[in-house]
Amino acid sequence: MARLSFRSLLPWLDVMAIAAWGIALLKFWLTGQLFLLIHPNYGWLTIGAAVALLLVSALRAFFIWKASRRPGRQMPPMQHLSLFPPGWGSILMLIMAIAGLVFTPQAFASQTALDRGVADSIPYTRVKPQAFRGTIRSEDKNLIDWIRSLQVYPEPDAYAGQKAKIQGFVVYSPKLSEQYFLLTRFAITCCAADAYPVSLPVKLTTGDRKAYAADTWLEVEGQMITETLDGKRQLTLQANSLKPVPQPKNPYNY
Amino acid sequence: MNQLNNAFTLFLSLLVEAIPFLLLGVLFSGLLQFFVDERRLLALLPKNPLLGSLVGSCIGFLFPVCECGNVPVARRLLMQGAPLPVAIGFLLAAPTINPIVFWATWTAFRGQPEIVLYRIGFSLLIATIIGWVFGTQKDVRPLLQPALASVLSYRSQASADYSSGTPPLLQSGTYFLGQSARPLITDPSELQAAMVATATKPNGYRLRLLLDNTIQEMRELGGVLILGSAIAAVIQVFVPRELILGLGQSPVTSILAMMLLAGVVSICSTVDSFFALSFASTFTSGSLVAFLVFGPMIDLKGVGLMLSIFKPRAILYLFLLAAQLTFLLTLALNLYIS
Repeated sequence: MARLSFRSLLPWLDVMAIAAWGIALLKFWLTGQLFLLIHPNYGWLTIGAAVALLLVSALRAFFIWKASRRPGRQMPPMQHLSLFPPGWGSILMLIMAIAGLVFTPQAFASQTALDRGVADSIPYTRVKPQAFRGTIRSEDKNLIDWIRSLQVYPEPDAYAGQKAKIQGFVVYSPKLSEQYFLLTRFAITCCAADAYPVSLPVKLTTGDRKAYAADTWLEVEGQMITETLDGKRQLTLQANSLKPVPQPKNPYNY
Repeated sequence: MNQLNNAFTLFLSLLVEAIPFLLLGVLFSGLLQFFVDERRLLALLPKNPLLGSLVGSCIGFLFPVCECGNVPVARRLLMQGAPLPVAIGFLLAAPTINPIVFWATWTAFRGQPEIVLYRIGFSLLIATIIGWVFGTQKDVRPLLQPALASVLSYRSQASADYSSGTPPLLQSGTYFLGQSARPLITDPSELQAAMVATATKPNGYRLRLLLDNTIQEMRELGGVLILGSAIAAVIQVFVPRELILGLGQSPVTSILAMMLLAGVVSICSTVDSFFALSFASTFTSGSLVAFLVFGPMIDLKGVGLMLSIFKPRAILYLFLLAAQLTFLLTLALNLYIS
């Protein structure tokens, strides 16, 4: 008897699993958490999918309800190759959608940056600069703009003395002395799975980096200089002022 | 705890990016089942094995299905008399050679468009070669499961009758009068295909069939997608980076590792590029292409489904040929091109 009632609940399980994913996707969008998960270019795809999933589940619910009122007219069962025992796929989807509704995605922080290898160059596989804008004011460039400029023209001396104002979070690199930390941001091309860190070393004029805890978001203003760090000449930001800022709503650069 | 949090964020990001493509793939394949008339298509297919397997590889464009949808379609094609090279070419290439997979791969690898091209090129090449190789087998029945083979035996007998001058309408033993050992249609899925193809049912009925199909596929493929994304997230966050880099940077081991992963994870071809993307910074390009080419052809889930067409021996041949060709082509890519 219990088996029978489980079977009769299966169609409703499908409806719930699909609707739950529609709701979860909408929740990511409405709470702005979508920015933490995927590149904004694909936001509309997610929203469209959410609407379509809700539509499919609503239609399905309507047909089940209609069929239950006229028990004589059942749908012909459609033969289908199954991988899971009945109900498993839906239960898995339903549980994960609920987990997604409850859980708040986190932006990646310094530990992930160190794990993934902070670098001041974009690996060759990543999006290349589409245009080299020489006329942009150096204070207006964000972190990834600086890295892209460096990729096109890597000589650090070429930027010496230029003013900069960039935002990012603090990463302590074990290779740098107490006077330096890495100002870091993550960049993504598609979704969080391919997020990669980019960073510039920041040189403090006074004190040591302990005043700025790892993962603190800062806006750093200063001038570009060239320093030899870890045996390599590198573009470094000499900080004049460091101002704590809240973590941006959209913490990634593109 | 933080690591767990990262892993779950990553897992969700893979799902959120992949679900729209999965839904699109499922809806499209459902819709096309209504609009493409397989019987008319079969009449146009070339008989030459090489040409046949090439055309078979390309008709994936008409049936945008991933590797769960292509097995039933390949089975129907064989039953309706398609030559084996066509069916094999279709079976191996259709999950990759279709517009939705192109789009998804392009989305994932926007920074490396060459991956998309290699994926398409290698898949077409491998599927065509394997289809051609199987074309040398004159009598295909020993390779097929008995139920399918008996349908084909009946067909060849029927066409022999036809060529001996009996008009098709007067063939003996076609129906249920016991003169022939085999009824015309032995398989419920073919019956269903025939029903769908000649459906003169009202639109509401067809809409409900489409809806049922969509929900069943979402349920199955969504389940596999969730398991696959979880594996990708766990590997990325919890396996030490040195280990992954050590494996992923060598031209040979990276390919073997990714092919093994492709075979085990069984993730749907419309969304596997997002899975591969999470390895893009640590693995060689050749190994990513190996994952994207080999996974849709042979994986644990697909082998389970293929057993509804082929005997295990034939699947072993398919597996060996596909694995060798993928390995050699992507190794050449690693060593000579990138």
